[in-house]
Amino acid sequence: MIVLRNIWFSYVDENYVLKNINIEFSRGITVVLGPNGSGKTTLLKIASCLYKPIRGEVLIDDINYWNLNEEEKIRFRRKIVYVHEKPILLRGSVLDNIIYGLIIRGYSRDEAIKKAHKISKELNITSILSRRTETLSIGERRLVTLARALVLDTDYLLLDDPIAHLHPSTRELVVDIVRSMKDEKVIAIATHDPLSTLKIASKVIILDSGRIVNISEPRNIIDKYILEY
Amino acid sequence: MKKFLMILIILVTITTVTTIVYMSVFGKETLRVLKVSTTTSLYVTGLLEKLAEEFRKEYPNVVIQFIAVGTGRALEIASKGDVDMVFVHAPSLEHKYINRGTLVDGHIIAYNYFVIVGPKDDPAGIKGLNNPVKALRRIYNAGVSGMTLFISRGDNSGTHIRELALWRKAGLNPIGQKWYIESGTGMSKTLMIANERKAYTLSDIGTYLKLKGEGILGRLEVLVDKGEGLINIYSAYIVNPEKYKVNYELAKLFLEFVLSRKGQKIINEYGRKLFGRPLFYSAYGKENELKELWNTLLEH
Amino acid sequence: MYTEIYGIALRSLLISSTATLLALVWSIPFTAKLISIRHRSKDIIIGIFNTLIGLPTVLVGLVLYLLFSYSGPLGFLELLYTPYTIIIGESILITPLVISLLYEVFSRAYNEYWELALTLGADKLQAYKLIIREVISDIFVVSLISFSRAIGELGVALIVGGNIKGYTRVFTTAIALEIEKGEFETAIILGLLLFIVVLSVILTARIIKRRV
Repeated sequence: MIVLRNIWFSYVDENYVLKNINIEFSRGITVVLGPNGSGKTTLLKIASCLYKPIRGEVLIDDINYWNLNEEEKIRFRRKIVYVHEKPILLRGSVLDNIIYGLIIRGYSRDEAIKKAHKISKELNITSILSRRTETLSIGERRLVTLARALVLDTDYLLLDDPIAHLHPSTRELVVDIVRSMKDEKVIAIATHDPLSTLKIASKVIILDSGRIVNISEPRNIIDKYILEY
Repeated sequence: MKKFLMILIILVTITTVTTIVYMSVFGKETLRVLKVSTTTSLYVTGLLEKLAEEFRKEYPNVVIQFIAVGTGRALEIASKGDVDMVFVHAPSLEHKYINRGTLVDGHIIAYNYFVIVGPKDDPAGIKGLNNPVKALRRIYNAGVSGMTLFISRGDNSGTHIRELALWRKAGLNPIGQKWYIESGTGMSKTLMIANERKAYTLSDIGTYLKLKGEGILGRLEVLVDKGEGLINIYSAYIVNPEKYKVNYELAKLFLEFVLSRKGQKIINEYGRKLFGRPLFYSAYGKENELKELWNTLLEH
Repeated sequence: MYTEIYGIALRSLLISSTATLLALVWSIPFTAKLISIRHRSKDIIIGIFNTLIGLPTVLVGLVLYLLFSYSGPLGFLELLYTPYTIIIGESILITPLVISLLYEVFSRAYNEYWELALTLGADKLQAYKLIIREVISDIFVVSLISFSRAIGELGVALIVGGNIKGYTRVFTTAIALEIEKGEFETAIILGLLLFIVVLSVILTARIIKRRV
């Protein structure tokens, strides 16, 4: 479980992009909704311990992450994987990208490649494994970043708009894969497109201008959206 | 920070290696270096390189480094102690630096003449005059009536200082007038501008002949080359070793070489074949006469 | 004459590449430090460096001349009219350009690869390794662009180098002298050589950039 307590955050001076955030990300899928600039990405990056909040606490499995020493921090961070909205790939082949996280965790190359093949099959990207990353389309890039994250099989999975720019059939595939992990993992998805994600959500958080305006069951939100549109 | 430390170490290593390579390829550290600032005309014509070349036949472990700038800057550089020796041609300026104690061991090494050059059709009608002051008066009148232009160096060089002295002698002040253009560059570029704009200018004969020989001054010719006030006297000085760190012995050696019969012969012969007439005349045997003329050039 | 031109070319390349490396030596740590500032002053500082790209070369030359002159504060080093002052001068001249270009490279590296490495579970050392791997060719491109600015400048080389034959004469000062001598053909040969050097450097940079 990731718990955010009284989180305040700003990039520059006193311009807070997150104001007094209190959330629990627990088993299942939490969908974070909100318009562009509402603070979704920042929230996920705080939850994945990339950014240190100005004020407030980040608890991972009840441990205050920012009080840990360097070694423990890495151990905790390796339980979490965050996938950027913009699919950033490393130089080299698709396979190199997928195995990177495993290699730095000390896996042998053979083991890592075996795992990479398995996840690639699930995401249907086996055919592009040997391609150099600069030749990929945007949709392919996103699938590679997902594969690179999922192959790590972490307890926590934080996805920043994972279905943007995807072909509808690929979108279904991604949603299905995420849904299949629902019972074992803590998953958070930030999106401003609720239609594909709400059906798999166990909890919905609505952010606006850095504040949480609503936390509720997806049922209520769907009703609300249906009423609005 | 480890990354930066690593890169830093790598870069420092590369830089050091490059520098070592550099020094081994071009290093002059083992040789004795004489630094000389000089008026451009002596350098651009190639005379100084020729003298240095001959000098090195006798002293092969000496390197003479010339910094070719206008006389004004050459003296300024000397007064900061950045060179060992100067070659210049502006008596009134030289006098100032001698008085300040910047320069010692002054000797006249060569002379030639300034010439007034201008467009072939000579709108001011100065061709054949044997009085430069008179010629400048005519150019002034022609300029005022919009018939011609005059290009001045405007850079505090020896030639510029002489030009201003001649205007003063003529009792005229052309500065600021529309037809009087200050180029602010060296002699070559000033001549090129005069050629383009069909204008008059004052030049040392050496640079003029050199450029004429290159075939790029097609519209200009020498109009006045005789008369009082056109003599152009080149002197060499050593920078005062009591005030600055100067390679005095080496400078003295080179100065003596330039003044020697051999050095003077090189000066006298230089360019004679190539340009049909000498670029410079040796001062050998005419020292007293030249010294008197030099003194007359101080009075302004 | 050709051995002299060869010497000028080799000397120009050595001086300007050394100057570029020197500029990188202080620009890389400086820019890396600058990137990590979380304050508005960062924008002001980088704005200043952007403006300084247009620094007149003769001004840099003059200031260095006054510094390194025998009568100046650094005169005791006796570096005036040596290739080393040209190296120092050119490295100072291109520093604003190097920093501005590196800033772009490092911002991207920091915003993207640093975070990415952390999300994938890298420790600090692993993250640094990853960043180096990702930006090394960009740094190379930055150095090539800066090198071409250094090799093409005249003011510094002329004022603090003195255009001494066989010692501090580089492409640009040699061209200026050949013009002064009225020997346009030699000037054009030198100019073309310089152009070829700069062109091949820029083309190399472009090719590297496209590959990555």
